[in-house]
Amino acid sequence: MEIKNIKQTQIPAFFDQLIQSGKVVIAPVLKKSGKVFFEPVQSYNQVATDYIQTGFSAKSVVFPKVEVLFSFKKTEDGIEIQDSIANIPETIVWGLRPCDGSAFNYMTEFFLKENPDTYYAARKAKTTLIAISCAKADDACFCTSVGLNPGSTAGSDVLLTLMGEDVYVEVLTEKGKAAIGISASLFTNGNEKSKDDYLAKINTKFSLSEIEERIKTAYDRAEWKNESMGCFGCGACAFACPTCTCFDIQDEGTQNKGQRLRCWDACGFGQFTKHASGHNPKTNQTERRRQRLMHKFKYSVENLGIVSCVGCGRCIRVCPAHLNIFENILNVTK
Amino acid sequence: MIGFKNAINKLAIPCFINDASQVEQLIYTPECKGNLSVYLHKTEVKQAKKVGILANISTLRSLIQLTSENQLNDIEKTVITINAQDEVVVFENMEKLEEYVQANFPEYTEEDKKLLEQLNNMTREQRWQYWTEQFSACIKCYACRAVCPMCYCSSCTVECNQPQWIKVSSETTGNLEWLTMRAMHLAGRCINCGECGRICPVGIPVHLLTAQMNLDIEKEFGAKTGFSCKSGYALNTFKPEDKEQFIQ
Repeated sequence: MEIKNIKQTQIPAFFDQLIQSGKVVIAPVLKKSGKVFFEPVQSYNQVATDYIQTGFSAKSVVFPKVEVLFSFKKTEDGIEIQDSIANIPETIVWGLRPCDGSAFNYMTEFFLKENPDTYYAARKAKTTLIAISCAKADDACFCTSVGLNPGSTAGSDVLLTLMGEDVYVEVLTEKGKAAIGISASLFTNGNEKSKDDYLAKINTKFSLSEIEERIKTAYDRAEWKNESMGCFGCGACAFACPTCTCFDIQDEGTQNKGQRLRCWDACGFGQFTKHASGHNPKTNQTERRRQRLMHKFKYSVENLGIVSCVGCGRCIRVCPAHLNIFENILNVTK
Repeated sequence: MIGFKNAINKLAIPCFINDASQVEQLIYTPECKGNLSVYLHKTEVKQAKKVGILANISTLRSLIQLTSENQLNDIEKTVITINAQDEVVVFENMEKLEEYVQANFPEYTEEDKKLLEQLNNMTREQRWQYWTEQFSACIKCYACRAVCPMCYCSSCTVECNQPQWIKVSSETTGNLEWLTMRAMHLAGRCINCGECGRICPVGIPVHLLTAQMNLDIEKEFGAKTGFSCKSGYALNTFKPEDKEQFIQ
């Protein structure tokens, strides 16, 4: 890891040079609705700077909400198939939070560990993550309960921490080095120092090791029902979640021409587990919510060795019923 | 007993009580905006012998509308509200509930009135552009459907794939098909609680579509939604004195 410094006043110049380098830059933008979302930008003027967390994570950069896997066309000679991953642009994600950076580590494990997903691999290889530490948090934030903190470097390529007029720059990977190299003259060499005074204070809600232990035997607990009663069965939490990776494969088009698509899916939907036979092993919202929470804190630990909740708090903020994942987890493991 | 309790970030979340000792948790504050009547469609609630519901005005209107659509006949329910004088009101029957709603019938919010006026002042092309832009952000999480007490179909058109009426993928045309289809199904049935717009994760003011249609239907047919249990549905009720002749 290298430490660099840059003046806060130089950030717009750095940002605009990233854009001029020809890369697609995705950054938080304040929308008319008052919510902040990641989207491609052309200048630093468009970038939101005063936000606790974006509405959705940046996962769509590597796992788009709708991804064309390939196109097909019937011709006189047979069927022509056109691959879709040839033209993926070099992309920089700017201003994601440390929790989101670490979510990319989970996604990489999920998509690449056993049966490597070529689409994810191609997008991830071309993506550079420039994260910004959190100076503010709200009651929904709980990264410190899942082994992270507002200044975690896990998963990011560069982490910027605002320290008064200066910005403390942790260059974490080769990709990060390349991004900083685009505007090398704006940076000076720095020394490693503590970020603590500049980070948001987030109280821990639970002990992760205790929860991991207790959830092993929580499957049959009666509390799941009451904890899930408020759940309406929409997909808002899963779509906002930086580590929810479930998808549905759809063919769209006609018999002569069409596309195979990968679309986001959500375990809260009644149809998620519905079999072709019509049988549905998960018949109610209690079972569906339990699946979601057990996956985050138990199944992903068993399968990949990682708790797949990063404590970003989006599911709590976005839930129409304001269901609270850490309260749910505490109550079913009491 | 279905009500609200306190949650983090000063929010109110739905609360389900099975034991009298837990009643202390219940709150009734301006934050209790959610429409709890949607939970009456839940299997777990239908299975309960008796259901109590602490209802705000939107929930009360939904109960009337659902009764007029024959959706609540089997549920033995106790409906409670808190009136403007902070008194607890327990409704003895649907007639009393109707009386209360009719005497306290809510207006559209100032914000919605302003937005509707802006939309109505646009040209057709501008309006089309406005909604196309809004719909392009939809991610098809179906939260609008999930929170809607009038969306009680056990199987929704979007879930039908043989034939597939509406694309599964979320892109502008498919989103437009989904959101206009939903609005059409709610024309003259929506009770204007505004929940679908309030909870939309991407902030689409989707409730304005049905709000405008309700205004149109009220103007054309004099029908108000969530107003009377016996009003019938303006768009499928024929009366001999109706001015339209096409059905005769």
